[in-house]
Amino acid sequence: MVSRALGRGGLMAILVAYTAFAGFPFLWVGTMSLRTTTEIAYNHYGWPSPAHWAKFRAAWIDSAFNTYFTNSATVVIGSVAVITLVGAAAAHCLARYRFRGNRLVYFILFSSIILPPQIVLIAVYQTLVEYNLYDTLWGLGLVYVSLQLPLTIYLLEGFFARIPQDLFDAAKVDGYGDFEIFFRLVLPVGMPAIATTVILNFILLWNEFLFAVVLISDDELRTLPVGIQRFMGDHFQDIGMIATGVMISVLPVIVVYAFFSEKLIQGMTAGAVK
Amino acid sequence: MATVQLESVSKSYGNGPLAVDSVDLSIADGEFMVLLGPSGCGKSTTLRMIAGIESITSGQLSIDGRVVNNVPARDRDIAMVFQSYALYPHMTVADNLAFGLRRRSVPKPEIARRVREVSDLLGLAPYLARKPSALSGGQRQRVALGRAMVREPQVFLFDEPLSNLDAALRVNTRNELIRQHHRLGSTMIYVTHDQVEAMTMGNRVCVMNAGRVVQIGSPLEVYWNPADTFVARFLGSPPMNLLELPASTATSGTGDWCRASNENATVPLTLWHPATLAPYAGKQMIIGVRAEDLRLGPPAETTSTGRLGWLHGRIDAIEPLGAETLVLVSANGTEVTARLGRDVSARVGEAVTLSFDAAAVHLFDPVTTKAIARER
Repeated sequence: MVSRALGRGGLMAILVAYTAFAGFPFLWVGTMSLRTTTEIAYNHYGWPSPAHWAKFRAAWIDSAFNTYFTNSATVVIGSVAVITLVGAAAAHCLARYRFRGNRLVYFILFSSIILPPQIVLIAVYQTLVEYNLYDTLWGLGLVYVSLQLPLTIYLLEGFFARIPQDLFDAAKVDGYGDFEIFFRLVLPVGMPAIATTVILNFILLWNEFLFAVVLISDDELRTLPVGIQRFMGDHFQDIGMIATGVMISVLPVIVVYAFFSEKLIQGMTAGAVK
Repeated sequence: MATVQLESVSKSYGNGPLAVDSVDLSIADGEFMVLLGPSGCGKSTTLRMIAGIESITSGQLSIDGRVVNNVPARDRDIAMVFQSYALYPHMTVADNLAFGLRRRSVPKPEIARRVREVSDLLGLAPYLARKPSALSGGQRQRVALGRAMVREPQVFLFDEPLSNLDAALRVNTRNELIRQHHRLGSTMIYVTHDQVEAMTMGNRVCVMNAGRVVQIGSPLEVYWNPADTFVARFLGSPPMNLLELPASTATSGTGDWCRASNENATVPLTLWHPATLAPYAGKQMIIGVRAEDLRLGPPAETTSTGRLGWLHGRIDAIEPLGAETLVLVSANGTEVTARLGRDVSARVGEAVTLSFDAAAVHLFDPVTTKAIARER
């Protein structure tokens, strides 16, 4: 009894420590987002008093964060939607259908996961210029899709392969064709895994900086991570406005996570499809 | 309701050996046909070919007179119950039942009526809003059965539907299936490796081995007249005792008769004409005797009359099962099992004589292992 209580206490202590570890930086950025750079320079960890809510308005309108936000939302939501749909269809194909070259395709996809994306940066830049896609959200979206598709297929293939074949046979006997089976059986049954990839891809692409800074030069087409960089000068960094920009950019990630977190946990803990 | 006809139906995967080899099978309208055999014998593959979820390599399959080799599963008007139940995990019981009907554009009120009717019949009404994960094994099994019944198909297919249930539930569900067959009068094809299911449920049993049909007949016909040693051993628990003994001809006051014997056993072969067995004279024959046909103690009449056989051995083990006792006797290196009454006074290690009637003897060709038909 005593050892059990101690065990629970220990676990609680670890959880509290981890929450503090993860939550403190967020809280710190949160407080800084409501303080001016001068106030922050005077006291790094001070509580916002008074809270400068007007900074959000300034960042959103004066510093064009509304444009960056719209650009980020357009390119990331569009890319994640395409990645999810195409990735799930490809994963279902690789997991369920026997065809010549199935494992070869899988191997090529798997190989491209281990390849560092920086290697292809210049090639991608050249290709986009060739096809008049440089400095367009379409081009950046296409690159995002191609960057994240292999990992998505890899993750989903593993999950879909565990869906019992009998379910597919039952649906066939019930009268459903291949496409209906994909939409009415594979997607709902695979939702925990799909939610996992949605969150993963959304967070990765929402924060993506390297390709966004190289492939977009027009200020009107910049995404949030590149927009935040505008507050960094050569000799001066506007820490207060950077914190405000970070808070604006981090909110959608929290919303997406809150929306899909239950499915994400299901996906991580799913042992078998029953 | 419909007839199902398989003509030389075969199945192979890639360049591999035949998983199903020239199966000829004719299932009558309203018949309950059981496909019985050990794991890997091709019975499930045969069923899946009938269902349309496995292609047919060669041969012809007809349902109700229509050749359906290239007809997709959805257009065959069949329903199937799977071993794993294959319930859609993201749907409620009601949705699982209605899923097949929705695809067939059955009007909503009709779907609701059929779902209600089947759920009442199978006692599923309280669970209609639950997901499969919130049901017990028996309830899931009933949902799987209900999903097939609600479709009102021409043919029901069952792929070992009871093998995941515990013993008590299995008996109940077995009886439930028999009742439903009587009620619906539909054609049903049932795959199992469980001989009790085959014996109790089927109008006819089709025994398969290594991709081929070995024997088709009523359960008792197959049990009492096995076509070969495989069927003899596969059907029956304990399986039929098989002895290898040399055949010879004897002469008595009633004329010539055959027997198979050595120093430990004598088996009268009075059900066969001596002329039939003449080619086997001196050769080792395979003799079969069911465990329930063996009695403890020497024959009351002498073997010279040709009516009773016997064998000597030593008791290896005694298994009291309550209502009966299984006695394992080692007879010159061959294990023989006798099913005796509940009160057996013998002890392990004791030398005993087992006797049996000549009418209980089965005879098999030593080379082909096929049964030699009785002639008397």
